[in-house]
Amino acid sequence: MYAYDTFDRNIIDARVAEFRDQVERRMKGELTEEEFRPLRLMNGLYLQLHAYMLRVAVPYGTMSSKQMHRLADIATKYDKGYGHFTTRQNIQYNWPKLVETPDILTELAEVEMHAHQTSGNCIRNTTTDQFAGATRDEVEDPRPYAELIRQWSTFHPEFSFLPRKFKIAITGAGQDRAAVKWHDIGLILRKNDAGETGFEVIVGGGMGRTPVIGKTIREFLPEADLLSYLEAILRVYNEQGRRDNKYKARIKILVEALGAEEYARLTEAEWQKIKDQHIDVPAEEVARIKAFFTPPPLPVLSDDVPAVDEFANQNFIFKTWLDNNTNPHKVLGHVNVTISLKPHDGIPGDATDEQMHLVADLAEKYSQSEIRVSHEQNLILPHVAKQDLVEIWKILDANGLGSANVGLLTDMIVCPGMDYCALANARSIPIGQAIADRFDDIRRLQDIGPLKLKISGCINSCGHHHAGHIGILGVDRRGEENYQISLGGSGAEDATKAALLGPGFDEHGIVDAVEKVVAVYLGEREEGEEFLATYRRIGAAPFKEAVYDAD
Amino acid sequence: MTLINLSGIHSETYRELTDGDLPAAGESVLVPLSQLQDNGAAIFELTSSVGVIVDTETAYSDLEEFVGQVSFVDIRFPVFGDGRGFSLAVRLRKDFGFKGEIRASGHVLPDQALFLLRAGFDSVDAAEERREAFEAALKRFGAFYQTDMIGHGKSVAHLRHSASGNDTTTKEAG
Repeated sequence: MYAYDTFDRNIIDARVAEFRDQVERRMKGELTEEEFRPLRLMNGLYLQLHAYMLRVAVPYGTMSSKQMHRLADIATKYDKGYGHFTTRQNIQYNWPKLVETPDILTELAEVEMHAHQTSGNCIRNTTTDQFAGATRDEVEDPRPYAELIRQWSTFHPEFSFLPRKFKIAITGAGQDRAAVKWHDIGLILRKNDAGETGFEVIVGGGMGRTPVIGKTIREFLPEADLLSYLEAILRVYNEQGRRDNKYKARIKILVEALGAEEYARLTEAEWQKIKDQHIDVPAEEVARIKAFFTPPPLPVLSDDVPAVDEFANQNFIFKTWLDNNTNPHKVLGHVNVTISLKPHDGIPGDATDEQMHLVADLAEKYSQSEIRVSHEQNLILPHVAKQDLVEIWKILDANGLGSANVGLLTDMIVCPGMDYCALANARSIPIGQAIADRFDDIRRLQDIGPLKLKISGCINSCGHHHAGHIGILGVDRRGEENYQISLGGSGAEDATKAALLGPGFDEHGIVDAVEKVVAVYLGEREEGEEFLATYRRIGAAPFKEAVYDAD
Repeated sequence: MTLINLSGIHSETYRELTDGDLPAAGESVLVPLSQLQDNGAAIFELTSSVGVIVDTETAYSDLEEFVGQVSFVDIRFPVFGDGRGFSLAVRLRKDFGFKGEIRASGHVLPDQALFLLRAGFDSVDAAEERREAFEAALKRFGAFYQTDMIGHGKSVAHLRHSASGNDTTTKEAG
């Protein structure tokens, strides 16, 4: 893991002092609410439906046991005993008091955490693959580059007042678990024919009310040129992005208006001017950062662990958990364990302080004191020896964290909706819970197989419904909550936009509709075919017929 | 309003020309870009001490023909969140090598002082009661993760590896 040196330490301490001063000036009336708003937003502090909400960065989704313990302590001390892990690999606290937020930042800074740029019209927390550096299908660990971007984008003098928020995601694996094509900038680590490392650069993706899949503007950018190239992309956007209408201010609208080729041309022209201006860091700095991400010294063990197989043969739930919640590790005999934060009746992404402490303890014992957060709102223990799996599962299961549903229908992304969010038009959490109720049998879920269901409570799409195999969007229709269903989206390397199936439903009808969609799939699937493949093969018509004509 | 110095350069006071007005011989004047575009030749004939007023919507390419003749550029922010003004200053420094004064006026915040300085601004025209806050903000951070936008100072990344910056246990000014 990256560890701060004195430079990082001084910057974070100065920032905490600055925010404390800003809060004091606001309390004294020296700053108007209009002026304070972007300052607090750039520090992850929102004013929500009921209270302030503080969004804390978990940079590129990686944290230590010590940091997780601190997050739990903050939940106990300043919140109501829980935190919410988000699709941006952040954690949100829903009930902090304004006057206490500088103290929370101080406590975070003590464990090298912060809330820099988790909100506001600036470059946000860069996200990545939750299995980065630990998964078998990886070209290279993306986290050193994410750390490089974190430092470069922190308090950037030119790009802290952009037309809108700006999100960068990066992956180093063949399988895209970071949804890079749905970001303002997506980066995919590649090797060229000479074996050199570089990036495919994708721009202009995003969800919201205008879902767009990003376009590749450069097939291979040498790794040494990353920051100057990002500067070129951002400068074009800062100057030409629309500022007259916030709904049209994202880079995706500019890329669509200019065309990806023209955007690439403008970026390239700008980059040619600046690429030798010491924007990129020296090679020694890249090497220094990379050294923090050296793989842990794991012993090579056998991938066959008879004791685990034996237990799995006797325990269907454990076997299901093994199948769904573990991912092959780079080092034989190890796996990455996903802890589902989608228990039956739970709130997707929520963890109590006790659960956070428990996960931190498990990480200390079994996963090199390392924990990850995924954009699908789950927690991960990387680098786990297979021989420890039975013991880990028993502990998780005894503490309400044993759900074996990772990748299945109830492993949903669900935005906070009208229960917490000031923007929402409809509730999301109760809809997710009602669907989870309907599909509460793990055997049935396992039979249905991999299926990504995603729910947003408004058109801003925080629940990623555009990228759901089944996407649900809650809207307000003449004062009534109405839920639209769309099918066929993907947030993976084969990114596609889900298509609206037809008119929406009330809160009960939407659950029936999901069940009918699943029934069509089960009736139509070919041997071994997953939901998305069946949908792509047979198209929307049979689903539409079942959902709308059967009544 | 009062002039707050960010970079330590000597700031001039200029008279703002109203529409159609011409400077007295040798007088320091501040002129809207549109007026320079209409009447630049006549103005430069009377004085070489000319500042130009632009807004955040101004395309940097529109400034190119005047950049060698004006001694300062006043960028007016309609709202402090309009980041185009920052890129405009960067363009003036990077693309045109402009060495004169760049001033931020209109709506800017004390909390932006370091952002402004590091994007290439030299001064701010702000309310006198905010002078202290501006000056405090300038001292807030001792080192930065980026090289500043005018090519001065070293980024933390460079300081970590430069001969004098090897000792990462000492706080360095950027």
